[in-house]
Amino acid sequence: MDGFGVTAAFWGLSALAVGSALGIMLARSLLHAVLWLILAFAGLAGLFVTLSADFVAVAQVLVYAGAVGVLVVFAIMLTPNSQTGNSETRMVGPGLFVASVVSGIMVYIATQTDWSTAARGDFPATALEIGTALTNRYLLPFEVASVLLIAAMVGAIVLVRAARDEPERRELAGEGEGEVNTAEAAGREVVAAGSHGGH
Amino acid sequence: MNVLANWWDLRSLANPVNGLLGWLRDKGWDEIAYIVSGSIGAAAIGLFLGVAMLALIWVERRVIARIQIRRGPNRVGPQGLLQPVADAIKLMQKESLTPRLGDKWVFWLAPLLLFIPTVLTLGVVPFGDGMTVADLNVGVLFIIAVGSVMPLVVFMAGWSSNNKYSLLGAMRTIAMVLSYELPAVISLLSVVVLTGSMQLGEIINFQKDHNTWNVFLLPLPFAIYLIASLAEIGRSPYDIAEAESEIVAGYHTEYSGMKFGLFYAVELANALIIGGLFAVFFFGGWWTYYLDVIIPSWVLFFVKMLLGYWLFVWARGTVPRLRIDQSLKFSWQFLVPMGLLNVVLVAFEVALWYQLDAPGIILAPFAVINWLLTAGLIVGYVRLLKLEHTQTPRRLTLTEDVGIVTHVPAPSAAGYSAAGGSPA
Amino acid sequence: MTNFSTEPYVVNIGPQHPSTHGVFRMKVTLDGERITDAEMVVGYLHRSMEKLAEERTYTQNIPFTDRADYLSSMSNNLAYCLTAEKLAGIAVPERGEHIRVIMAELQRLANHCMAVGTFINDAGAWQTPLMWLFAEREKILDLFEMTCGARLTLNYMRIGGVSFDLPDEFVPACRRFIDQFPGRLDEVEQMLLENEILLARSKGIGVIPTVAAINASLTGPMLRASGVAWDIRKADPYSIYDRFAFRVPVGENGDSYDRFLVRLAEMRESVKIVDQALRALPGGPHKVDVPLSIRPPVGEAYARVEAPKGELGFYLVSDGGTSPWRFHMRPPSLINLSLLREMVIGLTIADAIVSFGSVDIVIGELDR
Repeated sequence: MDGFGVTAAFWGLSALAVGSALGIMLARSLLHAVLWLILAFAGLAGLFVTLSADFVAVAQVLVYAGAVGVLVVFAIMLTPNSQTGNSETRMVGPGLFVASVVSGIMVYIATQTDWSTAARGDFPATALEIGTALTNRYLLPFEVASVLLIAAMVGAIVLVRAARDEPERRELAGEGEGEVNTAEAAGREVVAAGSHGGH
Repeated sequence: MNVLANWWDLRSLANPVNGLLGWLRDKGWDEIAYIVSGSIGAAAIGLFLGVAMLALIWVERRVIARIQIRRGPNRVGPQGLLQPVADAIKLMQKESLTPRLGDKWVFWLAPLLLFIPTVLTLGVVPFGDGMTVADLNVGVLFIIAVGSVMPLVVFMAGWSSNNKYSLLGAMRTIAMVLSYELPAVISLLSVVVLTGSMQLGEIINFQKDHNTWNVFLLPLPFAIYLIASLAEIGRSPYDIAEAESEIVAGYHTEYSGMKFGLFYAVELANALIIGGLFAVFFFGGWWTYYLDVIIPSWVLFFVKMLLGYWLFVWARGTVPRLRIDQSLKFSWQFLVPMGLLNVVLVAFEVALWYQLDAPGIILAPFAVINWLLTAGLIVGYVRLLKLEHTQTPRRLTLTEDVGIVTHVPAPSAAGYSAAGGSPA
Repeated sequence: MTNFSTEPYVVNIGPQHPSTHGVFRMKVTLDGERITDAEMVVGYLHRSMEKLAEERTYTQNIPFTDRADYLSSMSNNLAYCLTAEKLAGIAVPERGEHIRVIMAELQRLANHCMAVGTFINDAGAWQTPLMWLFAEREKILDLFEMTCGARLTLNYMRIGGVSFDLPDEFVPACRRFIDQFPGRLDEVEQMLLENEILLARSKGIGVIPTVAAINASLTGPMLRASGVAWDIRKADPYSIYDRFAFRVPVGENGDSYDRFLVRLAEMRESVKIVDQALRALPGGPHKVDVPLSIRPPVGEAYARVEAPKGELGFYLVSDGGTSPWRFHMRPPSLINLSLLREMVIGLTIADAIVSFGSVDIVIGELDR
């Protein structure tokens, strides 16, 4: 840590991230929880900036605060009765247990690991380095990940299409035929009816 | 930055600032220099935003009035210049209502949060030679990332209003922004691939070094970015989210007083910023073929920015609005594939350029090729998808005889019209 | 994951809404943005016009008709006066008939300017076509003001003629207007006719098949757009319309776009009629002397005109007294709107607004 500014930023952003994380859990409304979540993402992005990882910070905002946030909001809006908030469940006890165990493990690791603090050098262009690494050394994982994502996308499309497509098509065809017949029959009637007008 | 630039050389407003900061550093007050530079940047952006918004309201209203054979505001102050001030005072006096069943906190926060992306984006825009508050080396990505937060804020506004029109507007906004962010990003990707940098200053320097504007080299990304950014900021013909004739005012239906004013101001500011980004990405930013030697670079930039903004106003005064599904379809079916094709094309060209180790003049044939390919791609793709304009308008039948049926309308192709289905 | 069940979302479009053209209310049930059900609610502007008219003399009822379809009060005046004249057996002098035709056709121009303008506005253009056409409408209103002093609720026609003769400056002013008007129409058509967005928004939207149009007894541009050549000016000529040469535009598809086209084409034909009437304008009296309080013989009469919005008819029953025993109106706005529900179900909100805008209604006439 160097300088007062960076230290202050670190503590401020950490407080923001942790505070918003608490907000996620304490908010009764599901939608408020999502908003807190997005704020937590923003705080994390700020922490990345203090570590000079500006590309990761921007990606954090773009992917998590932007895309994931919108996705979760959509999911909530598509869920019926989403605005009534969290209901009481019997899972409070087990949930607390799992959470405390996980956080205990994390705190243990964080305090017991010998973090090397000297490695922080100058990163002139992190984007360039990440790009080079992705297209050279980590090409295979990168491609595998992209194939996986495409598979997921195609799968989602297939699931949604199968559910909605068929009834609609049947309806269209039926309606179309009916219309032609009535309209043609009507045309002839009109000629007769037309002469005495509209009333 | 010019080495010879002195602090009184106002061709770059950065000179006096640098002069001041240099003086502070000479004195050894590094921390003070740090704080002062930050304050100057923030003050500059704030001042710019405030003045620009007031001016823009006037510009928009006057330009639209000209298009509509009206005079526009011309009573308050000379040529109505003070009209926006009067409007703002009026808005501040208005009661600011909060829906009783709405979500009060979110409702109050939304207009304030809406300003954050706007202000942050302004931070990386180079207003002139050396006049950037923070020339991030991931500038392009930063702009996209910050812009991606916008729909969330809009959603907050729409959802917390507890109004059906607001919610419809918010959902429309999200759908629109999600669909149009992709073509915008892809078109900027072409720019980044060509210039080899995500830093806005570097993108301008590339254009300066090669004596070209990117628009000559990248016509297709320019067109795509124009359309996509129109959609992202929700200007006509993509003002679907606040479609007045359909859903009243969309997500800000329930806002009154200055809170509404903030929404309005942000919309204008975003349009202006997009105008500025056009200038940076496609029209050389502040660099204008040596014109920037005579005219201050920031004046040139503002002129380009305003021209871009004027384009948006022009569009608003001329075209009707698209339907939401039509606009989404246009993005996914047309803009995204075209943009992707263009990225491949540009990447190929750049690779060729590096392989041949050719001089910058190679950009000239590239420009010609790109323009031809763009025309070919658009025509070909339209033919392929049969998106062609098949609905040629025709003159109606004019008849002297009445009491006959001249045409029996064919059943609606869309199949949505229930009128034919149940004529009885 | 196989079945999305969405909750019905009921939205009240109106009575206060930017594009319900007044206080019309459409209660729509939405599935997403698609309308699954719609209910028209009318009557917010009901003023009991027909009942009130039974207490007033025949002449005193003319101002009521102004306030029915306030965007085309000349046509309303004309329809009412024709009915009263038919009931009382009064003939109108030649000059009066010509003035009536000129005024009715100018009124049609003014009304269609408004109808086309607001339709494009509903389709989302930000006021520009509306303003252009408004400028033209203002010129027509200037002509009206020159003639009778009023601009909107004109109260110009009288039983037996018109209330004032044309001022000297009217004919040149009117000629100037109709000479330049087609040019303005060309401008509007250039901007809109091939506008891709407008085509996408209005083609195939709100289709009314011929049979449905006739069954619902639609009239006016709505009926003509659905492919029926029907115009009372030709089918059952009133006043002196049989002397003028004009043609009736007929659409093919019955969609919103065709209604828009029909109105544009009708404006051009109306200009021709005004031109012919101005040329043929004879001298002589503009009205016959009719006592202010007439007592028509016992009986009934129905007369109809081709108002800008469709067939406007008045039905009067006289019991021999000074006021009508029954006063009834056939409002084209209401009857043309009767297919709205069938028109909008299955459309999105945006399309429903466009379809609604293409009907061209005035709430004053709808609710009377």
